[in-house]
Amino acid sequence: MAEASLIWPKNYNEVPKAAFTRKDLYGEEIKRIFHGPEWHPIAHESELPNPGDFKTVRLAGIPLLISRDEAGAVRVFYNACSHRSNQLETAVMGNKTEFECPYHRWLFNAKGDLVGCPNPREFLPGFDKADYPLGQPRFELFYGLIFVTFSAETEPLDQFLGEAGQTLRELMAGDGRLKLLGYQKVRYDSNWKGYNDNDGYHAPLLHAAFKMLNWQGGKGRQYTATKRGHVCFESALSVASGPSVLKDKDLIAFKGQDPSVGSRIVQLFPTFVSTKHLDVINLRFATPVDAETTEVHYAYFAHQDDDADMLRHRLRQSSNLLGPCGLISMEDASIFHRIHIGSHTPGNATFQKGVRDPRRLESEFSQNDESGNLPRWEYYRSVMGFERAEV
Amino acid sequence: MMLSPTKLECALDRLLLADANALDSKDMTGWLTNYAEEEQASYYCRAAENTEHNLELGFMFDDCRARLEDRVTYVTEIWAGTFQDYRTRHFVQRVSHRQVDASTAEAMSNFSVFMTPMDTGVTQILAAGRYLDMVRLSGDGRAKFLSRRAELDTSVLPRYLVYPI
Repeated sequence: MAEASLIWPKNYNEVPKAAFTRKDLYGEEIKRIFHGPEWHPIAHESELPNPGDFKTVRLAGIPLLISRDEAGAVRVFYNACSHRSNQLETAVMGNKTEFECPYHRWLFNAKGDLVGCPNPREFLPGFDKADYPLGQPRFELFYGLIFVTFSAETEPLDQFLGEAGQTLRELMAGDGRLKLLGYQKVRYDSNWKGYNDNDGYHAPLLHAAFKMLNWQGGKGRQYTATKRGHVCFESALSVASGPSVLKDKDLIAFKGQDPSVGSRIVQLFPTFVSTKHLDVINLRFATPVDAETTEVHYAYFAHQDDDADMLRHRLRQSSNLLGPCGLISMEDASIFHRIHIGSHTPGNATFQKGVRDPRRLESEFSQNDESGNLPRWEYYRSVMGFERAEV
Repeated sequence: MMLSPTKLECALDRLLLADANALDSKDMTGWLTNYAEEEQASYYCRAAENTEHNLELGFMFDDCRARLEDRVTYVTEIWAGTFQDYRTRHFVQRVSHRQVDASTAEAMSNFSVFMTPMDTGVTQILAAGRYLDMVRLSGDGRAKFLSRRAELDTSVLPRYLVYPI
């Protein structure tokens, strides 16, 4: 089959709308990006704090099982029996030290070893259980954040993250010692790029809440890291001042110990978004479901050292502030849908704010610039092999 | 004084239907009036999956009267004009209840909520689940929510939520 092609505009600040809507690009994206040499965060190890805890997810269709063994080691497996590839575990979360496939009763331990299977004497001569552990993708941990890649070519995780690693570490409370508060899971009617291109920072104009709460955005820095154009924001903490329309002011209060850490956003190519805002620590695990649907699991965290009051505060703030029903971000979700609908029109989407020269890519931006997305688009174009127009 | 079984059922169902009617009419002030005027009046909306794993985080976590009042402000003032609006239809059915004491009852009800986005006009299911209600009974036989927990079987919502479920 011929590879999908798309002529890309000459200017770096223009993106063909067809990139969001052409269904024939999707299969190629799965192959080159999601099954290609990229790292994908799928969980934080604090989601499975105890021996035997596990979590299952699907990433671009691939079923994965993340488990912690009796000794405390975290591993990632393909969630499929090594025999006939029956989906091994159906629960989303749980605690098990053994996983049994109900189809032919093959039994695996939390290390992925095949420890039992009935009637092996009837199997192929020379059958050895040691040859049939659960399959595993490559995985690495970064301050507890678990990444997988399905390619042997992907560079080590620290190179993939580059400078973004430092911001990501700060976002995860500096040490990654997190405690899970829970999930908000949604599907958006949006291509994965429409989600990722718009789930960054754009508070001042879209979010009426900021204005109504007399909430000025903090001064800060936006930069992109590595050739992939991971987008990172570091800004001083800003707290709403003046009269508020809210009766419960704790929703927008900061009770943390270290205001210098402020707000952080890290967006990693291709779909991961994470944010620390006030006392909310939020990791958004996203996956394309099909060309027009993106599923996002918003996971919220406290810190392991939080006392009961802080834990309660984070729970109350996390549930209502950000995410698909959050005071300051519900309308984001609507934008993802509307961008996807609007992109079914001819021409290019153009980026304006912060673009100084449409023929040049930069890596440092002002906090509210939309041009921070452009290095990521250039990387996408190059990975997909799309040529730029001559004029 | 304990209510007669018929009066109790009648009071609980009137409240159940009044809430569905307020939500489907986008009458947030009416929604608020279904809650007891007590400091601890609360509304929670969260995936049952979270609850089953002892995770308290929800889609909405309004654990006091002030937050219920803020919820009205979110919808009617802060978010006005920023989202694709949608109609909802709540179908509710009480499945069990008991009177706890003279002024309190608890009830469990199933719900399913249809959603019709105004722009597409295509109806789909927004969520299914059950309400776990703690209800304040007044002397005249009227009922208000002291606490309502919408526990969603739908752990992955088809979109964002503007209105409570």
